[in-house]
Amino acid sequence: MHPLKQYWVAEALEQDLGDPCNPDSLMSFQQVVELDEQEEFPTDLLNWLYNWKLNHYYIPTACGGEFTSFEEFVAFVRVMSRRDLTTAISFTTLFWSYLVWMAGTDEQKQRLASFIKDHNGAMCLAYSERAHGSDLVASDVQATKVAGGYLLNGEKWPINRATISGVTFVLAKTDESGGARSLSLFMVEKSQLDPNTYYNLPKILTHGIRGSDMSGIGFQDCFVPESSRIGAEGAGLEWALKGFQITRALCAAFSQGAADTALRTTLNFALGRKLYGKTVFDMPQPRRTLVDAFLDILICDCATIGAARGFHVIPEQFSVWSAVVKYFVTTTLESMVTNVSVVLGARYYMRDAHDWGIFQKVVRDNAIISVFDGSTVVNLHALLLQLRQLAKQRSRQKGRNLEALQARLAACFSLDQSVPTFDGRKLELFSRGADDVLQGLALALTQLQSLETDPDLDSDVLQQIGGFTHLLLEELSALDQSLENSTFEFGHDQSPELFDLAKHYCTLHAAASCVHMWLHNRHHLGAFFAKGEWLALCLRRLALSFRPAHSLASRINDEAIAQELLQLHMEDKLFSIVPFQLATSKVQGDQTNATSELQLQA
Amino acid sequence: MQLQNSSYKPSEVLSPIDLGSQTTETSPVEAIQQWLVSQLAKQLSLDPNNIKVQEPLTRYGLDSIDAVTLVGELEDWLELELPSTLLWDYPTIEKAATFLVQEFDVAAALNNVNIETATTAPQEKAEKSSGWGGLWNRISGS
Repeated sequence: MHPLKQYWVAEALEQDLGDPCNPDSLMSFQQVVELDEQEEFPTDLLNWLYNWKLNHYYIPTACGGEFTSFEEFVAFVRVMSRRDLTTAISFTTLFWSYLVWMAGTDEQKQRLASFIKDHNGAMCLAYSERAHGSDLVASDVQATKVAGGYLLNGEKWPINRATISGVTFVLAKTDESGGARSLSLFMVEKSQLDPNTYYNLPKILTHGIRGSDMSGIGFQDCFVPESSRIGAEGAGLEWALKGFQITRALCAAFSQGAADTALRTTLNFALGRKLYGKTVFDMPQPRRTLVDAFLDILICDCATIGAARGFHVIPEQFSVWSAVVKYFVTTTLESMVTNVSVVLGARYYMRDAHDWGIFQKVVRDNAIISVFDGSTVVNLHALLLQLRQLAKQRSRQKGRNLEALQARLAACFSLDQSVPTFDGRKLELFSRGADDVLQGLALALTQLQSLETDPDLDSDVLQQIGGFTHLLLEELSALDQSLENSTFEFGHDQSPELFDLAKHYCTLHAAASCVHMWLHNRHHLGAFFAKGEWLALCLRRLALSFRPAHSLASRINDEAIAQELLQLHMEDKLFSIVPFQLATSKVQGDQTNATSELQLQA
Repeated sequence: MQLQNSSYKPSEVLSPIDLGSQTTETSPVEAIQQWLVSQLAKQLSLDPNNIKVQEPLTRYGLDSIDAVTLVGELEDWLELELPSTLLWDYPTIEKAATFLVQEFDVAAALNNVNIETATTAPQEKAEKSSGWGGLWNRISGS
């Protein structure tokens, strides 16, 4: 088992699901591609996950479940997502339960926990409307106060699991005069409704995740009791936005699972295919593409895992962190999948060739991740509104409270430390200019300098890491200076250049996450991680987005990265800074691997 | 300092340039109102004379997320930690200023801050009418 306990659930789930390349496994590529072709909802797969009791990991221990850590959560969502995003996205709709764990009454928490555990209950989030997109305040769905409760009227669309779910979290207008306090949030339990007062809209045919229950829900004078309202009347938008901070950051786990499969199946091809007397992998260009894809995964890993832990340590900064991660990880890994498709050649486009056509399914399914729960534009907008404050706060805090900052960074990034219990009530609508990852960059540089005497480190590699970190700091200072000197206007007509600036901020944040991750885990994530060649190459790769290649230190030899990639592929380990054991792939017929050594349940 | 704003009509008397000379006379409520009017004028490209303190801020095009960010600016100025939903719960300049004075030691905060930052005229207006003005004319390599 992996030395880090928070990866045990993911490993156990992996072993029990088995090798996805074996058609006899649960959630095998063959099976999920067939389901997708038939556009069929993966009912049996979800039932299997319920029976495995994975749903218990969505309920905090304080509410009677097994959830203790978002890092653990991210790891098992990657396990589902590397096989099938349709199933993973359907199953993780349970995550809306966090609205109740954060803002619900004890009675609501109890009801929902029982619904999830005892009834294999599913839920959906009914926020968006046909006419309003991301503009939640413009909601046309009304909740009119009547004796004992409210009458709901209107339609929500498009909604994932709208038809199948038993609980629908509805954002509805309780104050017709409008504004930020005009919305309230309701936990609508369908079993308590008069079936004549609500209806479902037909399944929507989609580009990817074709088997999903993508549909909608409508209400006509539908009575819901007062006890179904979450939080105070008028608190709907506030909880909706705070809930999004959680789900947005964790959406990254879907992309990372998908990226793992895209790279793995491409490697299956590149290692087996011979051209001009050698394998595709042995040819420099495809090899570079695959190595770079691996680096992209490692970069995103540092951002995602850091954020997953950060929730427990500094939830008050998550209006920034979640926007960064949701934007950066999903779009970076979308590009990564496109990049490796070139190596796969024509096969990337075939629905039934090479590993059951899983690659084209990944391309289609993965495309929605950067769109749902707040699109790329929504996330960048949320971030750019905060940039001035972030810059001001960085200048104000410069050199102050360094010990506390260092302690928070260690808690966020040291994977061998356990995290405090997540407290959703500490989420804030804005971060008051705080972003420890970038605030701690100068601190990281000092730490890097102190490593110069470390005999275990290659001086060239260390020099590159230090040089690129210094470059990050330079870029950050330039960014801050521009922001401090600039004027600003509110509104929705922000210039495209501002969006570019927010993207730049995300890149710097991701790069700094890589540096922190390395500094805090050099002694317990294995030799490949400790040597830091991957970090030097990741930082250079990120620097290419804001500096021309010729101005940067030249690329160090990436042979160690290529060898690690091959090794992880051969040993069936996750492409990750935490390469936990996946189900072993063996030639078909070797059924011994179907037996799990890591059963968690009886 | 006194509360004396019952007949006070910033929309009639305020312009960002006038404010500097008034600061020694203004009550905390007035000072906050003036600051909000000048911020709103600056950041939504409005004439401060057209901003009425009794009107909901949304009327001027300030959406719910902008309102949260504006609280951040207010915190910066007063060096106080305020509820992030302040302008959601008190959606006019008048209500927000009154609430602040009732619930926080604003008088002390105002004594500590550089009143100039609240009342200086908007920085030289860049050519662009939206976004961070002339930012992109000043930096290169975007």
